Formats: sequence, C-alpha cells, structure tokens
Amino acid sequence: MTNRILNWCFKKSIWVYHVNTGSCNGCDIEILDVLSPYYDVERFGIRLVHTPRHADALLVAGPVTRQVRERVLRLYDAVPDPKLVIGVGSCTSGGGIWHDSYATCGGLGNVLPVNIYIPGCPPRPEAILYGVAQALGIVPKQVEAQAYIEE
Amino acid sequence: MFKHLVSELKETLICLKAGQVTLGYPFVPHSPEGEFRGLVRLDMEKCIGCGACANACPPRLITLEDTDGYRRLDFNLTRCTYCARCRDVCPQQAITLTGQFETATPDLSDLHIVIQLKLIHCRRCGKVVGTRRAALRVKNELAQKLEIDPDEIEWLNLCLDCKRLTALERPGLSKEVSV
Repeated sequence: MTNRILNWCFKKSIWVYHVNTGSCNGCDIEILDVLSPYYDVERFGIRLVHTPRHADALLVAGPVTRQVRERVLRLYDAVPDPKLVIGVGSCTSGGGIWHDSYATCGGLGNVLPVNIYIPGCPPRPEAILYGVAQALGIVPKQVEAQAYIEE
Repeated sequence: MFKHLVSELKETLICLKAGQVTLGYPFVPHSPEGEFRGLVRLDMEKCIGCGACANACPPRLITLEDTDGYRRLDFNLTRCTYCARCRDVCPQQAITLTGQFETATPDLSDLHIVIQLKLIHCRRCGKVVGTRRAALRVKNELAQKLEIDPDEIEWLNLCLDCKRLTALERPGLSKEVSV
C-alpha cells in the first residue's frame, strides 16, 4: 500500500536537494555533470532545488563526517514526506576508504534510512541516472551477491 | 544595435549547426569507452585464496578468515574505489574489472562476493598451511622447475616451523653438522 502511494507520488517529477557530507567533490562534479545538457535530467523532471523544503529526494554524497551528521539529520527532517534518500558514491554506501575512521559515521546507512545506493568512486553520470531511475522503479536492479564453495 | 543583432544571428547559426547533444542513455544502451574500470569480477575457478588482493586493497574491503577447514574471502564491494590494485597483484589473473557501472542497489548485501576454499593443515602440528589450490600451484611449478615428479615433493603440507624441525631431523643433515 505504502509502495503504491510512493509510486503515485513520484510518478511525475522529483526535485532533488544535493547534500555534501564530507565528500571529496568527485561525486559532486559527477552530479553536476548529470544536470548538464549532455545528460540533461530535466527531461525526466528531475531538477535541483535550493532548499530541502521544496525537495522530494536527498541526493547525498560523502561518508557523513561526525561534524555534518546532525545537519544531515536536520535536513532529513526538513524534507516533506514522502521522501527518497539516494546515496551517491562508495563513501556513502560503505564508508569508502574512511570506513574505519573515527571522524566519519562509515556510510549513510548508519545515519539515515537509504532508499538506494549508487556505488562508484565516483559513479559515472550514467550510473547516477540509472540509480535514480531505479529508485523510481523504472529500470530493474542488475547486481546480485555471489557465493562459491569449493567442493 | 546592429552589431548586437549580427552576433545574435551568428549564435543562432552555431546552435543550429550543433544539433542535438543530449545522450539518449536510459533508452539507448551505453557502453563505457577506453579502459573504464567497473564492477569487480572474480573468476571462482582460478582463485587460489592467497590473499594478495586483501593485502593490496586500499579500502581494505577483502577480508580473509580461516574457519572449519575453509578459507573464506569476502569482497565487500560497497566501498570499492575501483583502483584495480587487486587485479594487478593477483598471481592467477582471477580478478578482472568489468565495464559494468549500473551497480545501484537498495540492498548493500548485493555487492558481496564470497568464496570459500579448502585449507590444508600441517601434517605434524595441524596448523593451517594454506589453501589446497595454492599448494597445488606451488607443487606443479616446483616440479616443472626442478624437473621432477610432482608427487615426490612431500614438504608442501608442513608449516614453516615443522619444515625446519623435519629438516633438522633428517639423518643426512645431522651427519653433515657433526662433521
């Protein structure tokens, strides 16, 4: 039921608010690339907004440093329901090379409920596009866990 | 005024010439060009579980664990930086970086590769020596270099300490030492 409501809410266009939580700017540059005419996400109705109160989705990059943790939580509260949280980059999904640092929270999953992770260091603009489309339920998931035991 | 008009007309011409620049990506498949490094792929049949990749990985995403007669390598690709050092150090060329970039997932457990390989234990003290596949590789290479039968090599299932002890206990060696 909630899924159906969410699907109905995000049918048209989502407005995203870009949050940098201590990323190295690699992911931020790729996000800006997605907004450029070459990739042009505005044809899907996705656009950047200047305040979280207008946003449907948070586009978060970075490993979430200790300093920025409280601000991210406040941003999350400021976004009206229903909301999407999209983690961009390896830092956001698993903590990146700072996964065991005292200064970071080791990934966005430890701070907020995340709807979709887009790993990559940085992810290609196409990968970000694919991730957002997947969060909206347009395209299927392509990765799956692999396991092997020697006989 | 006239100058301005001319420049605007010029701009229009340029824009008309450029045509469409936007990629059709989500509707048209896109394959990355050049040496793009995407998702890690592990050849399960080739891997010998030596752990060279775990040693070289900058984000330390490969964990090694020896339990219940198996060595367990867990690739936690959520924090992979796609540097390809694991590929460069792999003695078996078991790791390749594919061109796959569409790795978005709502569940992080999708980005795990787990491989379990059989261990061999020291025949004297029972300590872990290494994986069976690694021992097999060493055996074959040694046999090739020394030009002997691979079954003649009997030191491979001994740990480092026991190898020394066994060497000391060899009658031929003790004779040499006493002289």
